[in-house]
Amino acid sequence: MPRDRTGLRCVLQRRLGTLTAAALLSIAGLSLAHALPYVPAKEEAVLAELSAGTRHADLSARRLARGRVDVAIPLAQFYIEQSRLSGDLRLLGYAEAVLASWVKQSPPNPDVLVLQATLQQSRHEFSASLATLDQALGARPKDPQALLIRATVLRVLGRYAEAGAACEQFSRLVEPRLAALCIQGLRGMRGHLESAYSSLSQLSTQGWLNSEKSWLYSELGEMAVRLGRNEEAERWFQQDLRLAPTDCYVRAAYSDLMLRQGRPKEVLSLLRGQESHEPLLLRIAIAQRQLHDAAVEQSSARLRAAFAAEFQRGEAVHRREQARFLLEVEDQPNLSLAAALENWGVQREPDDVLVLAQAANAAGKPEAAAPAISFVRAQGQSDTRVDAQLFARSASR
Amino acid sequence: MNKVRNLLVLILLLAGPLAQAHIASNGFLTLAVHGSRVSGSIELAIRDGELAVGLDHDGDGRVTWGELKSSEPALQRYVRGHLRLSGEGGQCPLSLGSLKVNDRVDGSYLWLPITGECEAAIKRLSIDYTVLDLEDPSHRALLALTVNGAAQTAVLGGNAKARVLELNDPTTWSAFVEYLRAGIWHIWSGIDHLLFLLSLLLPAVLVRRRNGWDAAPIAAPAFVNIVKVVTAFTLAHSITLSLAAFDVIRLPSRLTESVIAASIVIAALNNVFPRVTEGRWRIAFAFGLLHGFGFASVLAEMGLPQGARLASLVAFNLGVEAGQLAVVLATMPLAYLLRSTDFYRRGVMPWGSSAIACLALFWLFQRAIL
Repeated sequence: MPRDRTGLRCVLQRRLGTLTAAALLSIAGLSLAHALPYVPAKEEAVLAELSAGTRHADLSARRLARGRVDVAIPLAQFYIEQSRLSGDLRLLGYAEAVLASWVKQSPPNPDVLVLQATLQQSRHEFSASLATLDQALGARPKDPQALLIRATVLRVLGRYAEAGAACEQFSRLVEPRLAALCIQGLRGMRGHLESAYSSLSQLSTQGWLNSEKSWLYSELGEMAVRLGRNEEAERWFQQDLRLAPTDCYVRAAYSDLMLRQGRPKEVLSLLRGQESHEPLLLRIAIAQRQLHDAAVEQSSARLRAAFAAEFQRGEAVHRREQARFLLEVEDQPNLSLAAALENWGVQREPDDVLVLAQAANAAGKPEAAAPAISFVRAQGQSDTRVDAQLFARSASR
Repeated sequence: MNKVRNLLVLILLLAGPLAQAHIASNGFLTLAVHGSRVSGSIELAIRDGELAVGLDHDGDGRVTWGELKSSEPALQRYVRGHLRLSGEGGQCPLSLGSLKVNDRVDGSYLWLPITGECEAAIKRLSIDYTVLDLEDPSHRALLALTVNGAAQTAVLGGNAKARVLELNDPTTWSAFVEYLRAGIWHIWSGIDHLLFLLSLLLPAVLVRRRNGWDAAPIAAPAFVNIVKVVTAFTLAHSITLSLAAFDVIRLPSRLTESVIAASIVIAALNNVFPRVTEGRWRIAFAFGLLHGFGFASVLAEMGLPQGARLASLVAFNLGVEAGQLAVVLATMPLAYLLRSTDFYRRGVMPWGSSAIACLALFWLFQRAIL
């Protein structure tokens, strides 16, 4: 009977998630009213920096790509790579424009399909991405890139058995180090965290590409976080940062570690100048909030506007960030719980479990996290951060 | 060689399990309609302006205010070519004002005032938006349109480059229906409110005697009992719901949820070990006040739309009442018919109430202690 009730609550809350966002939208509308357009004082004031491939003059290469697939593929790859490194979503749009005419071609080129699937994955359109990958693998069953993206998407969705199958196929086609990364990363999600961590940390990285090392270090850092070995996690993140100083992903993960340890000042210095990147701005806002810094108001207003714009577009790439924002900055546990439940309906990474458990506890409705907790337990997944939440809940009596 | 190159790309793509990214390309179209005139502004990221017309004249990879300002005519031409407003009488010629800059989360935006003069008062506004349609298919315009103080929003671009907007203020009514539904849904899904009410209503068709329950001899007192309890509950929760919705009073949700569970335990136990046999409406009123805070937390999650706060609150409350009334109408005639049976007096009354009490006790434990 109580389980039933929880179920109904969940449905209600998920439904309310959309309305939640609508509420946020109206709040954001209000706060935006304060920002007024202005005339800059100086002619030399720099309003924007243009990265490679984003200038009007570069459109000629793009026009060329419309007629030549051998130009379109590397150009789209370039934009996707740049987008991943800089966190700039616009570049995904440029890649989409480059691929647009080739996606419609029949039969489509498998390379084009793999890039298309990557675009969809980056926008969190997971089922679309899987469908495109099926098409690509139908045309070319032994495409390692398609198999790895497939494994990644399925892992995010918590479909570990299928992800494992994709990893297996991938492993037969690539060097052992890449196979190890795919397979051990997944084992770490399925009850073998300790042994997956130690086998990855014993790999010798001699002869590895920097990008491969970076992948290894961020995986190890996240595993160490889940194991509760914070000093080791910090070392991995720092190693990763040395290789890829501008990588947004590792900055976010490292910031989260420091925020949990109550080191907001270090977070602010790590992320200085990164305000235009939404997930990093979130970490900045949380740090400001922890420091009772008045600047949090401005960061919050900008985040609210960004979430509202995303909602209005009908895309919700940052559901997890939105749940954290509502919980850790806005102090709105009920709204946060609704967003975290909605997020859980889409993606199932350890951080998604964590934010749901935190929001449910804060809202005084720990039972709302029950489906996620039983999922995690069924997988044998361990995460000291989530355990701490469950402990906090039973210790609060 | 090809394989190595391919894998290089692959690793770069996936070094993090999920690429995190900031917001996609948005333009902001803020318009208001007054009679035959549309006025407002268009905002495009400087980077999108660069893509559209080329702003970086010296090619140093930076766009300065001076460069932007000198591109004003080109930008105005571009906007006129890629944004079309029309009313019933045909296209409304656009005039564009002078450039300003606006700062948003992902950088600086160029800002241009727009005025469109249509032939007749606009009842239906058509908008065609093709900014960057070839250069960036993910570009969208986020439209905020105000007509007589009522705002509506829409997204333009992608597969929906043209939109026709009816201006006879559809927002208020749809919000009303939305909140009405939410009210009904909430009372049906959160069975705690219903169990509380049922616990108070079960004895309404009976009369308390020295050693047990007897059927109420005639319908009238039973009916009056039911009306009193339902009315008291409704009044009480409407009061606190309104107070909480307008932020006059706020209680922590853990407290209200726990007290709501406790209220069910008390109401149900009162059927098993009667203490209050006359005037159960007083219990309904007293605890109804707390149930109102429970409703309010749902409403807080939804938020009340600006400009239609009262209407939405009324709609939500009406939804709650309608949902509650439906349940009363479905159960009470049955209770009335069964009132003289042993099944009702010796079965439903003590054992049904005990079951409700146990369940509510469990909730109380879960909400207050776990």
